[in-house]
Amino acid sequence: MRNDTRRMVFLALLVAMATALHVAEGMLLVPLPIPGVKLGLANIITLLTLHLFGFKDGFTVALMRVVLGTLVSGMFLSPGFMLALTGAVSSTLIMALLLKYTRCFSMVGVSLAGAAGHNIGQLLAACLLLQSSSVMYYLPVLLMAGIPAGLITGLLLNSLLEHNIKSGILNDFKRT
Amino acid sequence: MTRADKILLAGLLLVSLLSVAAAGSRFFLLSGKSEPLQAVIMSQGKQVRRINLSAGGRSSFAVQGRSGYSTVEIEGGRIRMLNAPCSGQICVKQGWIEHSGQTIVCIPEEMLIRIEGAAPVDAVTR
Amino acid sequence: MIRRNYILLTLFLLVAGLCIFQYSRRTCEYRSDQFLMDTLVSIKAYGTNAGTVKNAVDAAYVEMHRIAELADGFPKPGTAAWNSSDVCRINEQAGIKPVTVHKDVIAMVTLARKYFELSNGAFDVTIDPVMDQWGFGGENPHIPPPGALGTALALVDSRNLLIDEQARTVFLRTKGMKLDLGAVAKGYATEKAAEVLTRHGITKALIDAGGNIRVLGRNVRDTPWKIGIKDPRKSEAIIAVVSMENAAAVTSGDYYRHFESGGKRYHHILDPRTGYPANQNMSATVVTRDAGLADVLSTVFFVLSPEKALEMAGRIPGVELFLVTADGQIRHSPALNSRLEIKEGSAYHYDPSR
Repeated sequence: MRNDTRRMVFLALLVAMATALHVAEGMLLVPLPIPGVKLGLANIITLLTLHLFGFKDGFTVALMRVVLGTLVSGMFLSPGFMLALTGAVSSTLIMALLLKYTRCFSMVGVSLAGAAGHNIGQLLAACLLLQSSSVMYYLPVLLMAGIPAGLITGLLLNSLLEHNIKSGILNDFKRT
Repeated sequence: MTRADKILLAGLLLVSLLSVAAAGSRFFLLSGKSEPLQAVIMSQGKQVRRINLSAGGRSSFAVQGRSGYSTVEIEGGRIRMLNAPCSGQICVKQGWIEHSGQTIVCIPEEMLIRIEGAAPVDAVTR
Repeated sequence: MIRRNYILLTLFLLVAGLCIFQYSRRTCEYRSDQFLMDTLVSIKAYGTNAGTVKNAVDAAYVEMHRIAELADGFPKPGTAAWNSSDVCRINEQAGIKPVTVHKDVIAMVTLARKYFELSNGAFDVTIDPVMDQWGFGGENPHIPPPGALGTALALVDSRNLLIDEQARTVFLRTKGMKLDLGAVAKGYATEKAAEVLTRHGITKALIDAGGNIRVLGRNVRDTPWKIGIKDPRKSEAIIAVVSMENAAAVTSGDYYRHFESGGKRYHHILDPRTGYPANQNMSATVVTRDAGLADVLSTVFFVLSPEKALEMAGRIPGVELFLVTADGQIRHSPALNSRLEIKEGSAYHYDPSR
């Protein structure tokens, strides 16, 4: 019981942080005429959740982040929402799969893959939305923009996990 | 960073660079806003107005329909039917539209507001 | 361990810094509209510093107001507007003595005089007495009786418009002569506004002074500005699009102030040689670098016959002409070919081989 409550509270905090990141990175101007295109910095929270709590909770946090984030920035149910949703779903999926089935990647690799998945997913959605494949020309830009984002979030998480080994602050929240 | 991480990183960098090369000259960073939209207002089958939605500020104007005047309002890139003499008021209740392809229709008044794609011109000399 | 964190922190700050820097350097747009010279003037300008852009546009409007005041022929004597108007004072002293004026008025009048000569009288800013006879400035335009028209027409002659550049004076030699800078002032003011914007460092802008267009540089997407040419008979339609950068486009047309009488259309661009509305063309659009020149030339070419207009346009470097002739044909300078797109489906006949 106590564990569940703590878990819920922590999840709620994670959702809040992810939403804040989502909104904040929406204010960074990306030089593309597609609404809602983002770097994917909010992935750091998704990845952390996946690591600590597993697939189901990770997905929940990601979805809630998209809903709340778009509500706050006034893009709920707009094309930007669709893009954010597909981005979040694709990146969460990739990261979850990598975390579960591979051992060779550290957080850096997973988050890089997540960032790439996020951006590719967004572009595919934009393609469908705008009914034009010319959107794919932005793939190089987005991929390149996603790499530093993925790198940094991965390194940050790596660092956090290493720190955790020493101090054990996250252990209370881990599943097993 | 593990070895696999580094390979992945290198791989991603390679793919982006390759796609830059493939995209070639189309790889253009566009700055600024997206294309400005235009709204077309039709009344009783004829085009009454064509207006840029990207003009700043709030503006409104009257359009004559079947049984009287309706007021159309534009603000911040959106357009709506502010009031109309029809009994159902469906067009008014619809509220704002702002995306290409969206329409507001008032059937009793035979009026149509439709948002069209990118404006063909930046200004008109007259 | 600690060093690793510092590296991460630095990396993060670097990226954050880069993002913030990029954000601060993004292109801002400032748009503004004001009513001036009896029309709506809209300016939109771009720059990386929002404050600078706004200041530039505000200053441009101030300059346009200044020119408008100097050239305003409408104020009545005794009003403040009359006192600030050089044109009013020139008109008042017609037949009496030369009037000292601002150098902008000298510039406008000199430009007008030059094209009076070059067009052999098809353009004449001393047309005002005849304009008054038609009543186009007021609520009730009408066909003037031939006698009154003839008397007024006798006063129209720019050879009696004397300019002394050294002394900065303008003199209308005969009493009753009146100057109307309407065909020059708007374009001139537009050009001055463009100069103000440039002085403030603006490199991308569009000024729309009631249809007088002047663009600086290219548009925000770094492609040439696309300026539409209005259909002279269908108010919502565009019959052609011109791509331009660092240029002006001004149109003179028969569809502004006009009235119908006896099935015929009478509009406000009079042929100074006859005193009647020019009837050679429905509209004439001039594209050239200077908006003041474009304004004058659009009136000149509108009055001249299509052949003469195109021939004259061909002789002036940097000037391009687009005509919709009275019989519904589209003709234009060959130089426009590379930047002109004629729209399909208009009611006018276009023969690309001419």
